[in-house]
This record gives sequence, C-alpha cells and structure tokens, in this order.
Amino acid sequence: MSAQAPVKSPFSPEQEKILTEWTTRYPYPNMGLVEALRSVQDWHRMISPETASRVAEIFHMPFSHVWGVATFFPAFTMKPVGKYRIGSCRGLSCWLAGSDAMEACLEKTLGVKARAVTPDGKFSWEPMECLGACEQAPALQVNDRLKGAATEKMIATLAEERHD
Amino acid sequence: MATPRHVTFQLNGRTVEAEEGRLVIDAAKDAGVEIPHYCYHPALGNPGNCRMCVVEVAGAPKPQVSCRLAVREGLDVRSDSPAAKRAQASALELHLVNHPLDCPVCDQSGECGLQDYYMTVGRYQSQAREDKEHKSKRVEAGPHVMLDQERCILCTRCTRFVDDVTKTHELGIFGRGHEERLDLAPDKVLDNAYSGNVVDLCPVGALTDRDFRYKVRVWYLDKTDSICPGCARGCSISVHTSTKRPWHNGGRRVARLKPRYNAAVNGHWICDEGRYSYKSLDENRLGKVLRLRPSREELSWEVLAAELAGRLRGGLAAGGPEGLAVAASGALSNEDWAAFKALFVDALKLPRLYFAADPDQVGEQDELLRRREKVPNLKAAEALGLRGGSFDALAADLAAGKIWGLWVIERDLDRVWGRRAAELLAKPELTVYQSPFKGALGDAYAYRLPATAYVEEEGHFTNFEGRVQAYRRALDPIGAARPDAAIFGLVAAALEGIRSREGAAA
Amino acid sequence: MTKILTKHFDEPRLHELETYRRLGGYEALQKARAMAPAAVTAEVKKSNLRGLGGAGFPVGMKWETVPPEDKVPGPRYVVVNADESEPGCFKDRVLLTRAPHQLLEGLLIAAHAVGAKETFIFLRGEYQNQYDILEKAVQEADAAGWTKAASISLMRGAGAYISGLDTALLETMEGKKAWPRQPPPFPTVAGLMGKPTVVNNVETLSMLPFILREGGEVFAKIGSARNGGTVLFSVSGHVEKPGVYEVPMGSKLRDVLALAGGVRGGRRLKAVIPGGTSMPPLVEKDLDVALDFDAVRAAGTFLGAGGMIVLDESADAVAVAHNIERFLSHESCGQCTPCREGAAWLERILERLLRGGGVPEDLDNLKRVGENITGKVICALGDTVGVVARAWLGKFPDDFKAKIPRGNS
Repeated sequence: MSAQAPVKSPFSPEQEKILTEWTTRYPYPNMGLVEALRSVQDWHRMISPETASRVAEIFHMPFSHVWGVATFFPAFTMKPVGKYRIGSCRGLSCWLAGSDAMEACLEKTLGVKARAVTPDGKFSWEPMECLGACEQAPALQVNDRLKGAATEKMIATLAEERHD
Repeated sequence: MATPRHVTFQLNGRTVEAEEGRLVIDAAKDAGVEIPHYCYHPALGNPGNCRMCVVEVAGAPKPQVSCRLAVREGLDVRSDSPAAKRAQASALELHLVNHPLDCPVCDQSGECGLQDYYMTVGRYQSQAREDKEHKSKRVEAGPHVMLDQERCILCTRCTRFVDDVTKTHELGIFGRGHEERLDLAPDKVLDNAYSGNVVDLCPVGALTDRDFRYKVRVWYLDKTDSICPGCARGCSISVHTSTKRPWHNGGRRVARLKPRYNAAVNGHWICDEGRYSYKSLDENRLGKVLRLRPSREELSWEVLAAELAGRLRGGLAAGGPEGLAVAASGALSNEDWAAFKALFVDALKLPRLYFAADPDQVGEQDELLRRREKVPNLKAAEALGLRGGSFDALAADLAAGKIWGLWVIERDLDRVWGRRAAELLAKPELTVYQSPFKGALGDAYAYRLPATAYVEEEGHFTNFEGRVQAYRRALDPIGAARPDAAIFGLVAAALEGIRSREGAAA
Repeated sequence: MTKILTKHFDEPRLHELETYRRLGGYEALQKARAMAPAAVTAEVKKSNLRGLGGAGFPVGMKWETVPPEDKVPGPRYVVVNADESEPGCFKDRVLLTRAPHQLLEGLLIAAHAVGAKETFIFLRGEYQNQYDILEKAVQEADAAGWTKAASISLMRGAGAYISGLDTALLETMEGKKAWPRQPPPFPTVAGLMGKPTVVNNVETLSMLPFILREGGEVFAKIGSARNGGTVLFSVSGHVEKPGVYEVPMGSKLRDVLALAGGVRGGRRLKAVIPGGTSMPPLVEKDLDVALDFDAVRAAGTFLGAGGMIVLDESADAVAVAHNIERFLSHESCGQCTPCREGAAWLERILERLLRGGGVPEDLDNLKRVGENITGKVICALGDTVGVVARAWLGKFPDDFKAKIPRGNS
C-alpha cells in the first residue's frame, strides 16, 4: 500500500495534509486515527467507505480496521449530519429534567426526526448519552459545544439564528 | 530457550500434569476434558469474548475464562462444578437470546457449537419473551461462503482468520454493542485463496459453504481420512461422502472436503482449490476397459492385459524401447510409482518417461500452503530415482515419427500441448490412455483403461518435504476401474507370461 | 470546610497561567522536580490519595507498579483520563474549565514520579470548550518551559462511554475500537503501545500540587482513614442547587445534600445515586453514610466518580432503571457476549414493564439475567449491566410490582 495520493482523493490537498499530519502528531502513527476520523467527520459531516478507505491508505491500515473504528464510535456517522449537529442529552439527570420534551421540541421545531437533516442541510439533531452537564439539565450541545439547559425558547432561537 | 517446566494441577478433582503456562483449556483437552468454547481457537488466539469456557478456580472470587488462564503448580480448577456449569449455561443462554434457532434449515445442524453445548451444559428452559433482533440472513460473502448475520455469535474467529492468517481483511465486526454485526467491509468480497476455512472455523451456522448448502444433512455423511491431491503440500483432509441417499447431493458421492488438523503440514487449513476439487470427482469418469481402435470393444482386464502385452512386445521387437514413450502425472501414489518403475524401467527399460508438472500441472504458490506443483506426488518419482524428459522434446519426436507407442497415465495431453495434441496423438501406432477421467482426448487413443480416483483407493503420497502420508479409501471404484499400480501389475504379469512362454518355446 | 481543588474558584481568571502562578501555581512541580521520583511517590502514598475516576485505587501504589527502567527500558507514559462520561459526573468538566493549570501541574508531577517524558490528556470529544481551554493552557505551559522535561499532548475521543475505562481508553488512543483489554498485564506494566503507562483521572492528578506543596500527611488528615483529602461531588437531579461541591473524604451524605440545597421543593427523598448511574442507589436511611470509598462500599454501593444524582419521591424506580440500562446497552462495546446480549435484553424487559406488558416472571428474570452477567464479563461496564436492574428492583420492589398488570402471565 502506498500513501501517495490516488488520482482522485475525496479530500482537498489541504485536507490530505492535515490527515497526514495526524499520522505524525503522536509517538506512533496509528495514535492519530481517531482524531483524523474526527477531521473527516467535520469536513464531510459523515464518513463514507470512500473517505475511510483513503484514511486507511494514509495510515497504512487495513480498510476493514478503519471502517470498524468508524462504525464503532457514535461521533462518526455513515449518513450526513447537519452543519449544526445538535445533541440532546438523555442521561438520567437530563431525562429527569424533561429531555423527552426537548427531543419532541427539536423534532417539531426543526421538522425532522432524530438523525435526519433539514432540507437546507443546516440542522440535524440526535439524542445523546450523558454530556457531562447534569447541573444544566436538560443539556443541549451544538457541534460538541455545550449550550446549557435547553428550553423551547432556546431551541427556537437556535434554529432561527443559524438559518443564515 | 529454557525447557518448559512441567507442573501438576487439579482439574475436576483429578491431578493432571501439564506444561507450566499452558492454557488451562488446552491442558484440559490434553487430559480428555473438553471445556465449552467458541472464540478460542488454537491457531487464532484467545480473545476471551464468548465467556463460554468459564471455570471455577479455588480462591478466585469469580469464574475465570480458561482460555486466558495459565497452568501453574497447585492450580485447582473445576470445569464441571455446579457453579462452573451454571456460568457456562448462562453464557450460552445469552448467546442464544437473539439467535434465530432456525436449526431445521441450517446446514450447521448436527455439528453446531450452540446445539452441542445446549445438550451438554445448557438444557435450560428459555425465559426470553422479547422478539429476536433481525439482521441480514443471506449475504453472499464470496464465491464459496454465505453469511447469515443472525446466526453469528460475534466470536471474531473469522475476522481474525482474514486479519492474521490470510491478511486479506475482507471481513470485520462493524457497529457497536447489540447493533454490531459481522459483515464484509464495504465493496470487499471474501474471495481469497483460503476463504472456505471460515466455514470450518465458524462454530455456528453463520458462515456456511455455498457448495454444500442444503445438499446433505451432516449426520448422513461418512468421513474418511485422506490427503489432498491438489498440490505437492499434501494437506490432511477428511473426505465426506454421501452414498446412501444419492438424491441428496445431485448424485455426487463426495459432499465436501474438510481440512484435518496436521501440525506438520497444513495446521488447521486447506486452500479453496483443494477444498472444491471434489466437485469434478464424479464427472467425466471412466468405468470400462475399452479398445477403441481399430475396432471398438469392451474388454475384460485379463483380455486387455494379454492383448496389450502382445502389442507392446511386438512394438518393442520392431521399434525398440526408445520408440515407446510413457507420459504420467504426479498424481500417482507411492505404490503406483513403484509399480510404474517395475514395469517401465526395470522390466522394459524404457528411456522415454515424461512426468514433470510443467507446463500443465503448475499454478500459484504462496507462503501459507499452496505449492506450485498442482499434483501431490512428484517427490515419490524423484525418490525412486525416476527421471523425466521434456514434453517439448517428446512433441518433436512424435512429430518426427520416432515414437511407435505412447502410454499416457492420468494426464490430459490436450492441456500439455493444446490443439497440437490430437495431431501428435495420431502419430504412434499404439496409444494407451489410463485415467479416472475421460479428459479432452479420451476418445483419441487405441486403448482406454479406467483407473480409480484417490478417494476410491488407498495409498501414500510423498509431499514436497519428503513426508510420506497415507490416504484411505472412501468410496468404491467406478465400474471396472482399478488403481494404477494394479493395472501396471496386470500388464507386467502378461508381459512376463509372454516372455516365459517364449523362453519355454526357445 | 477545607477546599483543595476549588479553593481559588472565585478567581475569574484562574484558567490563565499568570493568575495560577500568582496563587502559587507550579511551585509544587518545582519542589517535586527537586526530589527523587521515589520520594514523590512516597509522599503521594502518605497522602492516602485514591483514584477519583471511580476505582478508588491508591494512587501511590499504582505508580509503584510501573517497572523500573532497568527492567523495562524505553518510554513510559502518563495519560490523563478526561473522558468523563458517567451519567451524573461533571466535576472534571468544571476542573478543566476553571483550573486547567492545576491539572497540568499535577500531570507533570506524576510524570516526574514515574519517569515519563511524554504525557497525554485524553478528553471526551464533546468537551470542545474544554479542549480549547486546555490547548491554550498547554501552550502557556510550553512557553513557560514547564513541559521541557515532559511533553503534554491532547487527544479527543469520539463519543464512546467505554473509552473512559482505562484499557479501552488506551485502545482508543491506539486507533482501535474501544474494546477493553483483559489484564494482566495491567497498563502500568504494558499500557499505551505496550509501554508502561499510568492512567489517572483529572481530579486525581489535580490533587497532586497540594500534596506536594503541603505534604502527604496534611492531605491525609483532611480525609478519613485510608481516604485522603477532599472529593468533588457533581450533584444533580432533584436538588435545589445542582453543582460541584468539594468536601473532605468521609463527609456525610446528608451534608453534601444540604450543600446542594436539599431535595427540591422540600419533597421527600427517594434515592441518591452516590457515584454515577452505574452505582446502586442509597436511600433515606443511608443519609448518615460517610462518603469515602470504603464506607460507601460497606453501604452496598460505590463512591464511583462522585456523580451524585438525587431522586425525589416522584421518581419511578422502573423508569430510572430503564434509563440506566438503556444507556449501558447503548454503550456496551459489543466485545463480550453476556454484556452485549444481556444489556439489550434487560433494557427490553424494562421497556416492556414500562409499557404495561410486564409479567410476574420478569422480576425473577431481571435478577437472574443480571446475576448471569455480573462477574462473567470482560470489564466493569459489563459488571454494572448486571447490577443496576437488580439494585433498583432490590431497593424498590413495589415500583416494579406495580408495573405488572393483574391478570398478566
């Protein structure tokens, strides 16, 4: 296997560079894999067999290994997520504080079911396991950044502000 | 390296001796105690994920998996205590909670680890009320293998095989938790040269053989130890035959070939070429002793031997031994080669013998098992001091009319010379073809003699390393077919008869 | 009350190096670096510091199991477990947000003690705000020269709870699925890439600057027997003032509850999960239980990582057990059968109970299936799967019985 860029890479030259950098960031190349896949998820909002296959080439790993890792971790999706990926915590404290209602509110406000993307590609939402913000229950995050305790008003504002 | 220390430990109340550090599951097997297991495989490691091989260890607060427990002096292990059996049964129950239990339509039935352990350690009343999880039941994993994800217990034996043994990485466990499944990596096909092994090492019916699928129930099969004739490696195999219910397998008597563990030769595996070679065993077979030229007639072996000996005698007298060529194949057994030598070298002193694997009996070689020579026993010819000439030279001599007689044994000259073969075969006045199979030119010879296939005889092959290995007879010969050695013997006796009669007359 | 980690939390710019230095930051590191590594470990042993990520293993003892360089040459590593994801726990997030340098200083002290030249902070991917804070703090520490002797690298996870278990964390760091390993060998002997590796929690390491500055004995005295110093509780659920509270080890459950303002609206307490949802609940009669690893253990549950969730009388034990088993089933890594299959099975039984489809056999089955999982699996998550439903059923049988309609069989 060669790490040379194939004729047609699913990544831009800059992205190829970043992925290659992840192979040198830590003492061993394989240690950069999860971070590299995070980059791919960020860029493409999903991980496809095509992109995972290219990552496997860059990391000199079997494709089945990379695909196994990609399908294992919840942060990685095999279908696209929205530009704003909203996570609604359903850990015990957040559930006690009404996370079910917040999920219903997200579905109603955004008009899509969990893990589906709004037609404009801006939003998707999904229930998430404990976000480590139980004192701000029911916690909500957008793209891995905690937004605090969710309310119907907050969700409405969130949906409006980012519809730019 | 220090020699391993032998220690004694307690197994189910018995004192057992074993090498220190040996896995308890192996040491138990050596002592005749089978501890249930799925994920552990001696050639694929011990991930300890199936939790079936749990045993009770004196002094340990909880059950231990015996596939990750090393033997040490004084260890006190019970695999048969109520607590150990309960732990094994509970692990089995959790393996089965989402298993489809479609044994009536599953090819693994009768040799399934789930069935076997249910009968030995399970026997519980199912408490599962929930619906089973559904997954794909018919994934064509590759040309030989069908995957049923619902039956899979995720033991990872097959993924370890493609990762660590073939290093081809077609299969993986994808997803997580109870949504995890065994699958092909996207766009991959399980088509490596050893793919059939995943069927053998799958302890359940998740990976089944597409060629064997729905053909025969395994309990109807007879099993015979044999040696694969597919290449010079000589892998140990078991020939599984179905003869009592011919309607079960489309009339084919051999239902499948399975590898037989042989640490020195093939370990646990065989290649797909060898494994699926059985399919042609009942096709294109010869069963009659025939003279085809000048007039077609079915002969008895006795008549054939006398007639052929007479013609050989005449030919030798007129054209000399250098005009009689013998082309053979490395498929002959040690016994066949010995009789071959006795007839053609010792008695007839023929200078023209041809049996090199090139060009038609060679193929791919790899680091795992496959050898370049796709015949099992050239080594025996070498060991007997036999030397073979080049087929190119033979072709030239045939074309030049230097050959009056050609005897071909288990070799299809069409595959040696291609389209020229028929033309070349027309040159000698005496042509003899001896083989289990008709081959492309079976009708072009003067005599056609049916030989037994390896599954219909017993004998020995000498593999490329010089290892002499026995194979046993699994089936009756077809029609009048006889082993090559017997045919050589008949002709040799007939020649000897002529010689002694001539001697007496003189 | 004595505060160690949160002592300076009223300083708004505590997360910056300048403020942290002004308050005496990195002096303990200087002191430690002037000491022999074994002396640092000895001080930590004296302190009775226990692993605050949940296991409660004595920290100094863990460090001592790192083999000496002459026995196992080559690099050794220290990894910060900042993969906080046990439901109910958020104290690491607060520590990372407010006092990143306290962690870095503690990490570098640990690195000195075990001879590590490279250290890593493995942070859960959802803590992106904290990642930014840490990145900046590491840059400051680099610029100030604190990391010349031992580097600090950051790495993010990808949303798997199981990555928070030390050996699964190491697998994740190695670019693999977070499938836990089965010791031996333990990480201190063969950890990251097979090298001796100490994995310690954020809170644990953050205690080290105090221990080195004030001495192990001072720290030990703050806590209870064999449980040195203070402990952070992340309190949430049905309380008036959810938040992080630092108390000495051995404080009463009642006192921590009081700090959090008590049960909301003056309602009656039903249960307290002391250490995160994996731990069996305590009830009203346990309010005087001393909160340290050993006393909580004696009370039948675990201190865990101090993720305290308070439930008032309105909570339904079946729904709570379902929420937790659903979580565990979702987070089961799928490696070993009992956990993978058992967690999903328990979740579905509980779900059926909640839907009104319960039958009397379900209660025995919850117990039996749980027993068949715990102690027969690869890791602690699996053990927990078998414990949770049984624990809630054991404490609140009436809630479960109420879910079985009359006539169902």
